[in-house]
Amino acid sequence: MQQAGAKILRKASLTGWLSQLIERHEVIAPVAGHAGDILFSRVTSPQEVVANADNPLNPPKQFLLPPTDPIIAIRDIGDGYHIEPIHDHRQRVIFNIRSCDVKGIKFLTSVHVFDLVDTSYVRRAENTILISLACNVPCADGFCICTDSGPFLQDGHDLQLTDLGDRLFVESGSEKGRSLLDTADAFFQPANEEDIAQRLALEKAARGLFGERTCHFASAMRRISGRRVPEALWDEMADWCLECGACTMVCPTCYCFSIKDRRECETWVRCRISDSCQYAAFTLEASGHNPRAERKDRMKRRFFHKVSAEYYRRDEAIGCVGCGRCIRTCLGAADMPTVVAALRRGAWRE
Amino acid sequence: MPNEFAAIFLNNEHANGGRQGMETVATTCPFCGCGCALYLQAVNGNIVGVSPSEHHPVSQGRLCARGWGAHEAPTWGERLVTPMIRRDGKLEPASWPEALTHVVDHLSALLAAGKDVGVLGSARATNEENYLAGKLARAALGTGNIDFCMRAAYDPMVAGVADVIGHFPFPASLEDIERSDLVVLIEGDLARTHPRAAFSVMKAIAGGAKLVTVGAVKTQLSRLAALHVPALPGGASEIINGLLKLMTGRGSEDEPVIAHRYEGYEALRRSLSSTPVTDSERQVAEWLASASRVVFVLAQTGASRDQVRRDAAAVATLAAVTGHLNRPGSGLLPLAGRCNSLGAIQMGVAPDRLPGGESLHDKKAQDRVQAVWKGKPFSGRGLDAEAMVKAVKGLVIVADDPTASSVDGKRLQAALSAMEFVVLLDAFATSAVAIADVVLPVASFAESEGTYTNMEGRVQRVRAAADPPNAARPGWEVLAALIAGFHCPASYRSGSDVLGEIAVVAPAYAEIAYPTRDIGWGMRTVKVPNGDGARVGAAAATRLTSDGFPYVLAIDDVVDWGRDPLIGFSPTLNRDFVARRKRFPGGVVEMALADADRLGFHEGRKLKIASAHGEVVLPVAFRTDLEPGLVLVPVEFREYAADALGSERVSAVSLEQV
Repeated sequence: MQQAGAKILRKASLTGWLSQLIERHEVIAPVAGHAGDILFSRVTSPQEVVANADNPLNPPKQFLLPPTDPIIAIRDIGDGYHIEPIHDHRQRVIFNIRSCDVKGIKFLTSVHVFDLVDTSYVRRAENTILISLACNVPCADGFCICTDSGPFLQDGHDLQLTDLGDRLFVESGSEKGRSLLDTADAFFQPANEEDIAQRLALEKAARGLFGERTCHFASAMRRISGRRVPEALWDEMADWCLECGACTMVCPTCYCFSIKDRRECETWVRCRISDSCQYAAFTLEASGHNPRAERKDRMKRRFFHKVSAEYYRRDEAIGCVGCGRCIRTCLGAADMPTVVAALRRGAWRE
Repeated sequence: MPNEFAAIFLNNEHANGGRQGMETVATTCPFCGCGCALYLQAVNGNIVGVSPSEHHPVSQGRLCARGWGAHEAPTWGERLVTPMIRRDGKLEPASWPEALTHVVDHLSALLAAGKDVGVLGSARATNEENYLAGKLARAALGTGNIDFCMRAAYDPMVAGVADVIGHFPFPASLEDIERSDLVVLIEGDLARTHPRAAFSVMKAIAGGAKLVTVGAVKTQLSRLAALHVPALPGGASEIINGLLKLMTGRGSEDEPVIAHRYEGYEALRRSLSSTPVTDSERQVAEWLASASRVVFVLAQTGASRDQVRRDAAAVATLAAVTGHLNRPGSGLLPLAGRCNSLGAIQMGVAPDRLPGGESLHDKKAQDRVQAVWKGKPFSGRGLDAEAMVKAVKGLVIVADDPTASSVDGKRLQAALSAMEFVVLLDAFATSAVAIADVVLPVASFAESEGTYTNMEGRVQRVRAAADPPNAARPGWEVLAALIAGFHCPASYRSGSDVLGEIAVVAPAYAEIAYPTRDIGWGMRTVKVPNGDGARVGAAAATRLTSDGFPYVLAIDDVVDWGRDPLIGFSPTLNRDFVARRKRFPGGVVEMALADADRLGFHEGRKLKIASAHGEVVLPVAFRTDLEPGLVLVPVEFREYAADALGSERVSAVSLEQV
């Protein structure tokens, strides 16, 4: 029972704790963008943090996998080349990250330690503390209940906050989280029975508040892995995709990239740049051949990677955390729940 | 030691003082005319990424692939970072005062010698830059030679609609499309050219609306359409006339009222008496008659300017007589190819318009300009871009690139090289650098403060997420310095000052110029008129093909994105274009598989394509989504087909496999 050892933070103390975090870390949190928009960005004062904000469209994976990410420097040293890694040493806290995004980062980490370890990613992940805010009320487009990634977390977070009204219920989920609390002891007090009961009641209530939005992965997985999706359905679905790549850009579990070198003075900087498997040229080979030349081939690939049994066995999770961002950003109608529903039916429209 | 993200990006020629840490700045997408908002993410003054905007009225959380890649060109592009003067054939670095003086002296000398000079603005420059380009021409240089290359495909549509409604058109919005019951899309592949607009059409369809597409390509949207009416380039006119005939001859009880409202109604009806109608047209007419909200979307096409203008007027006529002109959910939307095509026209970057977009003879508009400029603007009609490039001796190019953005393409190189003095203001090293005698480096969209006006007439802010690299300066500042060099008043402290002046010259911009503009997402400039008093007319019926030339050769798009610096310099966005150029180093044409089978042609073999203009020999590729009778030239290969096209975008040809 992880609520054992839980703490309480009075909301009046939040500013003090945030100030301390900002002093010691680079703190990322949802902040106000232009005219009503909310974005994840670095905060320099506690007042910038927007409490209980809608989850920003661009997920916090951008701080672990920046869209433009210098990874090595290559220097001409006369009689050869000197190659050195570029390390991002910053100690980051992502504050008020939501449950789905914590699960997304957990998924990304499992991918980046699989087989060849990606040290650039892993270093950032190790230096990042995730302080999540549980969702007392699920968001309009979220379906995390179908992906076991919310509205409350059992694991993956360093700290999980639950809004109890005048105070925050604080659970640690890792050693990083526990030591962070240890360094800020003065702000917290132990949670009592009543606090714990309230926290559990909120989780139970939140689970009952999901609306119509559902996503039945199991039957879609059977159809995909059983190769039982009609070809004509892929054709039809591909016509409702405008190939913007947004679903992959905002997906907390997507990590496709390209490599590009950039000349800076006497140095070449090799960058990882974000890319999308939905773009026609992503798999274009030097010969001119493209194994996924048609849009439907790329869609097939995307959903095979996301919901097939083959990948589920490898990753121990489907490649979706139910955040609903693909619904909010899709320039078409090819978002996860829409496609999964079509796969189940075997038909695009009812 | 370069062991941090920040450190390595600071240690480069692009970075410079001031900006530290992370910034996320709301701005307007620099690509097509839809005008989405996006956030540019910067780290220590380097543009590294993009975030979408959930609440912007156009984007609503969405971006197309281009928008998602908008951060790439400023960071990865070959940038112009220092003023340069060509000496002994080589561009050499110079100081700003030296370069500016050099420009003023040389242009003055040309003027003193009685030689023609001209200015090219740009559909990708801000309103502020375009306005000052117009001022440079009509105040400082005293010439009407002011234009931008991409106007050729867009302005005739605007003019055609204005011919009917009697004033600058009020375009339908993307929201109108989403609220409509029927969308009529005339010759266009929205999914490729304007993905955000295509999304609106999809939303309308998903909500129960019907889509009718007219064109020679069975596009992605055609596949979603209730009806696709095939028409070769230029052939849409016949369909529009057929619809006009059906819609004007209905004998309904409101017809006398309609006839009374529109000038030329009876003449129109008479002119259509012998127009044939098809079953598809009857079907569309039935839908037009029963729909309560209809949006007509006009794509830029390859037809001649006169034809585009008359066709646009005919569509406006159709919208007017069916009662679908400018009501919520109804209207007419001419698609603008680039982010500021409409803004550039409204700023007066056109040989036949005053600053503010009004006609040269508009006395009130002249007076407004004179009051602000403290002198009469040159109000003579000048040369358009095409003529200018061939005729003037001195040319100032503001972020345009004639070989990339005009239909003549690389064939203009010779005329441009023969010019005596070319000044280039740009952020990127485009192909125009090769012909420039002076290069003046300006800020890219990512480093600029200004406004773009989207195709809906929405004036939106462009904001700087970084400082201009090295010695580059904001475009408005450089243009103001040039204007001042000719002793014309041009003292501005900021881009906002320029917008303040625009607000006086173009009253439609007055509201946006107030400081409150930063609170929301910009506003639309043009007020909704009703359709009363419209002058109606039929389309320009043309028959391109003949017995000797039975096929239509046409260019497939009007924007050569592969040669646009914002795509060409973006590693993710330029791949398709690079791949196609590699695959077809000598160009290619495409034709319908059905035609090829009938004629016994083989893919990859060469075709001799002959027209009244001349002939070309090009390899051919086959497609199953093209209308028979069509030979399509990808826009990036247009020069290879030039001898058969002449200076047009469409030509009748004969084919022979060689």
